[in-house]
Amino acid sequence: MSAKRIRHVLLVIFIYILCLAYFFPILYMILTSFKPETQVIPPRFIFTPTLENYRQVLNPDILNYLKNSALVSVITTIACIVVGIPASYAIVFGKLKKPDNLFFWFLSTTLLPPVSVVIPVYLIARYTHLLDTRFFLVLMYSGANIPIVIWMVRSFLKDVPREILEAATIDGCSRVRSFFRIIVPLTQIGITSTALLVFIFVWNEFFFAINLTYVHAATIPVYMASYMTQEGLFWAKLSAISTVTVLPPLVLGWIAHKSLVRGLTLGAVKG
Amino acid sequence: MQDQPRENRRSRFLTLPAILVVAVVTQVPILVTLALSFVRWIVVRPDLGISFTGIGNYFLLFTDPDFYAVVLQTIELTLVSLIACTILGLFFALLLNRDFFGVNVVRTLIISPFFVMDAVAGIIWKTLILHPSFGFNGYIAAFFHTKPIDFFGAYSLLTVILLTVWQWTPFFILIILAGLQGISEEILDSAKVDGAGWFRTLFSIKIPSIYNHIEVAMMLGTIFILKVFGLIYVTTSGGPGVSSTNLAYYVYRVAFYGWDVGRAAAIAIVTAVLTLIAIMALFRFFQRRFKEWEV
Repeated sequence: MSAKRIRHVLLVIFIYILCLAYFFPILYMILTSFKPETQVIPPRFIFTPTLENYRQVLNPDILNYLKNSALVSVITTIACIVVGIPASYAIVFGKLKKPDNLFFWFLSTTLLPPVSVVIPVYLIARYTHLLDTRFFLVLMYSGANIPIVIWMVRSFLKDVPREILEAATIDGCSRVRSFFRIIVPLTQIGITSTALLVFIFVWNEFFFAINLTYVHAATIPVYMASYMTQEGLFWAKLSAISTVTVLPPLVLGWIAHKSLVRGLTLGAVKG
Repeated sequence: MQDQPRENRRSRFLTLPAILVVAVVTQVPILVTLALSFVRWIVVRPDLGISFTGIGNYFLLFTDPDFYAVVLQTIELTLVSLIACTILGLFFALLLNRDFFGVNVVRTLIISPFFVMDAVAGIIWKTLILHPSFGFNGYIAAFFHTKPIDFFGAYSLLTVILLTVWQWTPFFILIILAGLQGISEEILDSAKVDGAGWFRTLFSIKIPSIYNHIEVAMMLGTIFILKVFGLIYVTTSGGPGVSSTNLAYYVYRVAFYGWDVGRAAAIAIVTAVLTLIAIMALFRFFQRRFKEWEV
């Protein structure tokens, strides 16, 4: 018994070390963000912590990028949910002639690599003067993420027992009412995690952001990419702005990851 | 009950906005890309104008050694990352699929890289960790009196693969772990009673039961890893030369540096076709294997 116990403890210590090593780059980034700029090089773990980096980094310039990111992410998420859920509802409960074909069409669009659409999109934006606008980013991100919403929400809707809905209809409950009173409460967790996933994807999106925005509508990844050339070796400040940037998706991901996995795997395993 | 046609119209009405947005953003542009790929149009050379060249762009592409290098590197990047992510994902998922003190914290920590944007992941690795003079790379090399590893020169593609694997393994862990947790205790217990060892249980019960989950992870992984862009942009810029360029980054370079619209469109179309082939091949492979297991 005790030999087994020792093996267990050793294994757990091994897991701790392994996971800490895996997480280390993020941990070290957070540590560095609290270092005075003079104590960054060479690498060290003992330093005099300071909030100076955060104070300097949270200036109006960078806050504008963060504001763009927040606005674009939130509006895209809402748009995807508002447009995606009715479509999934129609696919699962509606009377479409070939619901599966429509569903697979949506899925197939996610296979398209972004590079295969970016050139026309850029040209269209340029000639309609929509380049470097938040509206255009929201439009692109919505088109890219609505299929993901449909994919995930469909699997959650399929879990809703049809008998309950039929019983509600017999009792004289309208479609709209049964949607909000029965379906939404039953699939709340799934829909929330879907929304969080879309938010994370949009917040982190880099390819369209770098190609379709310059100054006005640029999101935070665009700023991050330009930091190296602009600020060079101020690594403590770099770490501070990086920490601020990754915090929203990280926290949301920690909250949502369980239901997120359920949505992704259910959607695919059930077909 | 309402009549069928009216119901059908109502359902179609609900799907209309989604179809519209998705079609405008994905379907229309890809058709335009296809059309542009038959055109010679270099934006910075207005004197040349816009002219139809037929398969001229494709012809030039397939006679260009850079292009072959980029295609091979894309395949290498995707394939190596995919295999590494699957093996590491399975390894970590098996480790984390048990009860111990702090298991939730550990799981939370290890999935974090997946939620970190690629621009930041690339920059942090490039500076704090791998920088040859001031990062851990240089520090460790100085400690052992050796030269630091040239991550962004000779090993640039390997570095991109390393970072891709670091970012995407958590996604594989998440999905495979979900599969492992779905295996019923009874089956595992009876296997134990029958005297099945650790390896036997892994290959005869665990892996077959989570086959669907591995499939999902690998399919989604392929789609996402094929479009890796931000990591390359902030770490190696595809260099030196084109040694760490993948197709996604190559299109970007040709389109937004060379402003050769026709050529970039042709590469984009080739990328789309290769993506579809990869997904279909993977799908076939899984279907065949799945049948074997079921029999």
